[in-house]
Amino acid sequence: MEIFPESASSYSSDIDNLFWLIMVFVGIAFVASLIILIYPLIKNHHSKVPRAEYITGNQKKHLKWIVIGMVLMAISDFAILFIEHGTWAKTQEHVPDDVELHVSVIGKQWNWVFIYPGPDKKLNTADDVVVDQLNSELHIPINKNIKVDIKARDVVHSMFVPAFRFKYDAIPGRTVTRWFRATKEGKYDLSCAEICGVLHSNMRNFIVVESQEQYEEFLSNLYQSQ
Amino acid sequence: MTHELSFWRKYFFSEDHKVIGMQYIITGLIMAAVGGWLAYVFRYQLAYPGASIPLYGELGPAQFNSFITNHGMIMVLWVAMPLLLSGLGNLLIPLMIGTDDMAFPTVNMISIWIFILSGIILIAAFFVPGGAFGGGWTLYPPLSAGGYRNTNPEFFTALFSGTSLFILAVALEIVAMLMGGINFLVTVINKRAPGMTAFRIPLIIWFICIASLDFMFSVAPLVAGAVMLLFDNILGTGFYDPARGGDPILFQHLFWFFGHPEVYVILLPSIGAVAEVVSVFSRKPLFAYNTIVKLALVSAVLAVIVWAHHQFISGIDPRMATFFSVGTIIISIPFAGIFLSYMATLWGGSIRFTMPMIWALGMIGTFLIGGLTGLFLGSNAWDMFAHDTYFIVAHFHYTLIPVSLYGFFTACYYWFPKFFGIMLSTALGKLHFWLTFVFFTGFAFPLFFFGLKGAQRRVYDFSAFSELMEDPYVLINQVSTICAILLMLSQFIWIYSVVAALRKRKSSDPIGDNPWNANTLEWQAPSPPPHGNFETAPEVFHGPYEYSVPGHETDFHPQNKPIPNS
Repeated sequence: MEIFPESASSYSSDIDNLFWLIMVFVGIAFVASLIILIYPLIKNHHSKVPRAEYITGNQKKHLKWIVIGMVLMAISDFAILFIEHGTWAKTQEHVPDDVELHVSVIGKQWNWVFIYPGPDKKLNTADDVVVDQLNSELHIPINKNIKVDIKARDVVHSMFVPAFRFKYDAIPGRTVTRWFRATKEGKYDLSCAEICGVLHSNMRNFIVVESQEQYEEFLSNLYQSQ
Repeated sequence: MTHELSFWRKYFFSEDHKVIGMQYIITGLIMAAVGGWLAYVFRYQLAYPGASIPLYGELGPAQFNSFITNHGMIMVLWVAMPLLLSGLGNLLIPLMIGTDDMAFPTVNMISIWIFILSGIILIAAFFVPGGAFGGGWTLYPPLSAGGYRNTNPEFFTALFSGTSLFILAVALEIVAMLMGGINFLVTVINKRAPGMTAFRIPLIIWFICIASLDFMFSVAPLVAGAVMLLFDNILGTGFYDPARGGDPILFQHLFWFFGHPEVYVILLPSIGAVAEVVSVFSRKPLFAYNTIVKLALVSAVLAVIVWAHHQFISGIDPRMATFFSVGTIIISIPFAGIFLSYMATLWGGSIRFTMPMIWALGMIGTFLIGGLTGLFLGSNAWDMFAHDTYFIVAHFHYTLIPVSLYGFFTACYYWFPKFFGIMLSTALGKLHFWLTFVFFTGFAFPLFFFGLKGAQRRVYDFSAFSELMEDPYVLINQVSTICAILLMLSQFIWIYSVVAALRKRKSSDPIGDNPWNANTLEWQAPSPPPHGNFETAPEVFHGPYEYSVPGHETDFHPQNKPIPNS
């Protein structure tokens, strides 16, 4: 059984692998801690050991065990940070240059509004096409970099696409630009992950990933409907 | 120094730290019942969407939102804080440092009554037109600054709206806690018994002081943030309104600058109680006591510089997020040291599985899961997926329940004989512990998997999300809900046990002042301690953890008695 949602973006497997990697460190730390915790409970029950040893733990020969534990923890910490930072930088710090589609996703109470660039392929121009419907779909082509401008009209929302392992808050007054590249055709949830009012849980749209031809057909229909 | 007081002055408007401590604990327990009731109602809705909830009826989305919001705020500010910080702090500080009362008894009395008033205002918000606030306990504007309603009401309607009352209650609660915090610090600095040097202070008192410092350091920005929020609500200012030059992110910073240290504010008193218990029932000095104090100071400093890990994906610069990711993850280093010291205390000990010890060990074991899952969330790349999902919900229940429930019961089973002169039943105690342990695990552990599947928090009804309505996720929600209900019902065993013990108090044999053979000063006072605590002012000769000193027949040495030949 798959514990994660479907994996459909270029970095979703990076994020899943990160989970398993951290799990290795955390798992070892957890099992080791449980052994350190439980072993003396069995061995040193007062019926077997009527009088405890007098160890304050302040001498170097005793304190070294704590220091070793902390050093091991520090090594795990920096190993995790070193590896996860690559994924963070890739997903957040740089937006790729070769972008096929630059689209606005705007949160409002209670659905996501999509703004596609018009026939001039440029966003924020007069011919932009606005799709503002309950449960509407954002159509994107497969295997192409998509740049999203995330905005909000009223309160804070959070654009969450579990299949892409993508989430970013939509903040009134700000435009945040992030990117993803879908790698699998299909229809995926685009929900809101930040409480945004009474009908927060109804705020649910979809991302449809399709082939380049289907996507271009969708776009031409969209332009004609204007 | 003792004199007769009227009934009201003795039990209601008392200036005695023990009465005030008990008042905090009783208020905290009443609020826990309120918070638990809210959890019961909305957990039932999550397991059986749209069903009529027994003893409540149907729950609409607006009530659902206000229930989760108030559940969160109540459990942190009105349960964990009064039980652990104010409750334990008031009960224990004067007794453990060997003095008669707090430095400012009247301020102390005012603090509990402001605290009770704040709780009343919070609950009153459920009964005003429009109902209680439902924008999440984190109070993010613009939702909390008028975004929840779409009209612009006149001043008095806005003042008595659920949102304003919620903010007001939070602000008053903080005022009460500040008065307590000042009192704790001044008392510990100025009123210690002769000979009670810094490194002879029991660890729990150190931890309560560090917690108070963290609280007082971090709370001012939140108060400022809350006042601006209140102004946005009732005066129509625009501190958080981007259309008028404000910024909603500002509030998130002010909130989490307080919100993250707050975790350590309740964690430290709790693990302080665990430290006392682990040492006493291993009959062994607390391993590396001085080092633990220093590590706790380090973690308290780190705690105030990591707040933005709650905002990795909230519009802060991604390069800045890296700084907060590093800070967050390295907090595990001092805590690894602290918990390893606790475990090292057990090695070579002579371990007695008394009720407080069982709770303390349960706290350490359970908190491990909560602490270690923090490493996942501290990694900002993985947090991008896990943020605001049930993975977070499971994580913080795995930290806050061991801290506030297990930690409180560790303290309760340990100090109950001191304050009431009678032990709690061990048989009932074991039943209480195991049921709590099993049902807590059954409630919180499955939620990790719900979150890993991408289930976001604060959703009223998952019916629309097909992936989350397949097996086993429906089952996960039902198991979690049933276990949460059973977890709450299990606590009645403890209530029964307390009532039974109090009823037997007059008829049973006295247990003596020091039933656990402990060193710290509170056990050298009569049980229960009278007004003024000690018959003669104690003097301190050595540290609190001198157990099993070689060459002596007894394995403990009260702090107020010199160790012969040393």
